[in-house]
Amino acid sequence: MRIFGRKVSKEFFSIIDKNFSLNWSIEKVHLGFSVKGFVRGKPGKVEVLRMDAPKRVLAGGWQSWSNFKVLDTKGQTFKSRDWKYRDTPVPSEKHLSDYFIAFEGTVVGFLSSRFAHPYFEVEDDQIVAYLDYFDSYFEEYIPIEPLVVLEAKSTPLILEIYSRMIAKENHVVLRKEKPIGWSSWYQYFSNLEWPDVLMNLEMAGEFPIEVFQIDDSYEMDIGDWYETKPGFPSLEIIAETIKERGFKPGIWLAPFSVSESSKIFKEHPNWVVKENGKPKVAYRNWGKDVYALDLSNEEVLNWLQDLFYNLRKMGYEFFKIDFLFAGAIPGERKTAESPIASYKRGMKVIKKVAGGAFILGCGAPLVPSAGLVDGMRISEDTAPYWDAENEEISAKYALRNGITRYFFHKRLWYNDPDCLILRDDSRLSKEQRKIYALVSGTLDGLIFLSDDLRKLSEDERNLLKKALDISGGKPRVENVMDDSMRYEITSRGSRSGNVHLVVDLESSEYKLEVDNSFRIDKREKLRDDGRKFYFYGEVS
Amino acid sequence: MQELRFNPITGEWVIVSTATQRRPVRPSNVECPICPGGMEFPDVESYDIVVFENRYPSLLRNPPEVESNGIFKKKRAFGVCEVIVYTKDHNSSLSRMPLGQIEKLIRVWKDRTRDLYSLDFVKYVFIFENRGKEVGASLSHPHGQIYAFPFVPKRIEAKVEAMRKWYEENESCPVCDVLKNEDGERTVYENDSFIALVPFYARFPYEVHIYPKRHISTILELSEDEESDLARSIKTVVMKYDKLFDQEFPYMMMLFQSPLKEDVDHFFHFHIEFNPPKRDKDKIKWMASVETGTWTFINPVAPEEAARRLREVKV
Repeated sequence: MRIFGRKVSKEFFSIIDKNFSLNWSIEKVHLGFSVKGFVRGKPGKVEVLRMDAPKRVLAGGWQSWSNFKVLDTKGQTFKSRDWKYRDTPVPSEKHLSDYFIAFEGTVVGFLSSRFAHPYFEVEDDQIVAYLDYFDSYFEEYIPIEPLVVLEAKSTPLILEIYSRMIAKENHVVLRKEKPIGWSSWYQYFSNLEWPDVLMNLEMAGEFPIEVFQIDDSYEMDIGDWYETKPGFPSLEIIAETIKERGFKPGIWLAPFSVSESSKIFKEHPNWVVKENGKPKVAYRNWGKDVYALDLSNEEVLNWLQDLFYNLRKMGYEFFKIDFLFAGAIPGERKTAESPIASYKRGMKVIKKVAGGAFILGCGAPLVPSAGLVDGMRISEDTAPYWDAENEEISAKYALRNGITRYFFHKRLWYNDPDCLILRDDSRLSKEQRKIYALVSGTLDGLIFLSDDLRKLSEDERNLLKKALDISGGKPRVENVMDDSMRYEITSRGSRSGNVHLVVDLESSEYKLEVDNSFRIDKREKLRDDGRKFYFYGEVS
Repeated sequence: MQELRFNPITGEWVIVSTATQRRPVRPSNVECPICPGGMEFPDVESYDIVVFENRYPSLLRNPPEVESNGIFKKKRAFGVCEVIVYTKDHNSSLSRMPLGQIEKLIRVWKDRTRDLYSLDFVKYVFIFENRGKEVGASLSHPHGQIYAFPFVPKRIEAKVEAMRKWYEENESCPVCDVLKNEDGERTVYENDSFIALVPFYARFPYEVHIYPKRHISTILELSEDEESDLARSIKTVVMKYDKLFDQEFPYMMMLFQSPLKEDVDHFFHFHIEFNPPKRDKDKIKWMASVETGTWTFINPVAPEEAARRLREVKV
């Protein structure tokens, strides 16, 4: 193994390059070692570790939507999908994975992404870990993103330990509440109308819903968040209406994105990331070019701060912030800070102003968001159909990511496996809807419904109850390195007992066993002196 | 006064709780506060198992604010102190209770473990029973207690670190390795899922540990069958204790689960320790200067001999 191009033979090293200097050392950590150090100057792309490539690795994954699965390292060529930066900020044919890789019994991964983007490439028969500082220059020494190499018999175990190490490095404090909610997206998509909201609000009381979240569709344009589209009342009235019905108001927005047609872009064309002095297209969606806000610009940050301050003041208590990767795309910014540092600056502003509310990241770079979000989408969107060619958007591939990224949950944030679609008029079969709900419950992630609530039958309501009953445990995917789409999931100490779930995403078959070892009757009583009493007995 | 104070000499937290000073000292049967109709249950005619928050808690859900002063570091005494009443029968005990009642008690322990860990300030849930005046039990009605600590206590931390070190050096859990190497000489009782033994490293003369044969780190992982086997193990050990000197044997029973919020399950093996203070029928093994001051125990009975005596007690 070579680290920074040298064989590991001693504990402390210095590298003096013409553009930068770097001091680094190796420390022993539980089940492995870490590489830490400091760098200054203009490091650009720095090789950190080089090793022989194992045949298969669990890899892939800059942001929420990136597929995370077992890949063959031979003949692997990275193909950027429709949006250049959707899968990584450093696209190249050699690209293998962002942040970390795992193979049988080993995890090699970076613990932070504060300034640099950490990633892995395949070069001939070797895997190389890099830190890319882009064009940033550092006058003073800054810490490098630490790298760890962990080894143990159990791959899931070391993925869990690696995740805990990221949490520690980024000072993650898990939020107390994990809300259950409703989202408008997978029933109404961009066709949501205000009467749909009112109708579902009337029904929501029949479900254990705490957050009622309006998704994409209420806004006039991407970036013009204060203005609602015709037919919708003002944002204040939307929040008030939801709150009056007894729910926490939730809202979707893409805070680092502005569309080419938005007022904000027209008024402030200099607020966006550029290329050769011209606004750089971050991605295309809604039939439009979308630009990324330059989060190194204080004016932009002030605007962002005002936006979330005002939304909080209106009463919003849940923010689904989407397309966040835009904030971290490479390009020209007002200051020379790296795209990653810039992204974190924007996220910190949101956290500071809206931290009292639940912040759900989506389309978000993973490691830089640790400690700055409460929940995180860990998959591409789900869909009202099961399968799709080329692993495109579908329930099946969303659920696979929910399974393979299970180890982030309750360590970095609450995993969001995306909404349950329970209604029977979608293209999902009854078994497929069951599988999604039961896997989501066993893995203990966020549970959000996304149906016209009038359509849910007694059976479908019971399925929701079942998903909630088997949540609350400590989940593990026992064969996370398996690429057959057949997963064995266990959860110790769920609300119902120990859970064993075997699920085959190809055949849509599953087998669920719950040992019911938690069945006991409990009655809670609060005494006048404020003490709690719990009366237990046989289950009748 | 209710607060945590930090000892920079040992690196441990001390709970200063003047409320506990008001606790009753072994009231008689007629005035048992936890019998149905007693002070804690004035309007209750009967119950099965009941858990309630201690009237004299050392730790509080909403403790008073504190102010640190330089080296004199304080923290708010967050936590929960609960009492578990095992049965309505004042004169029962773990040795006399039906097995089904102990199985139910294990489910209650599970429920409390999960409930208490859901509180954000809780870092460690400690379930225990003090039995007998020799270990300071203030009530004779069969009951145990739970402390939900806002930190991982020092001895738990020592266990975690020792087991972690063993795992790093041997790629296995130390208790699993102990069980692989026990030849029965120290075994007191055994069933399909659990083994009760006087450990090679026993600190007290008749110390017994109950280890699950399967590597589990918390009681939350117990299956229904394992619950039954654990209930039988606990009952058998306490029955043997009571028959050893034909007297109700005093002990401290302590459940050691892994700190649930940390990723230590792979090397932390759940276990129960019985620490009885008796070294003979009328003799006490005191926690004196060497034990208290240095954490070094002098055990006057060879563990193998203690195990033989307990094994030979027929129950």
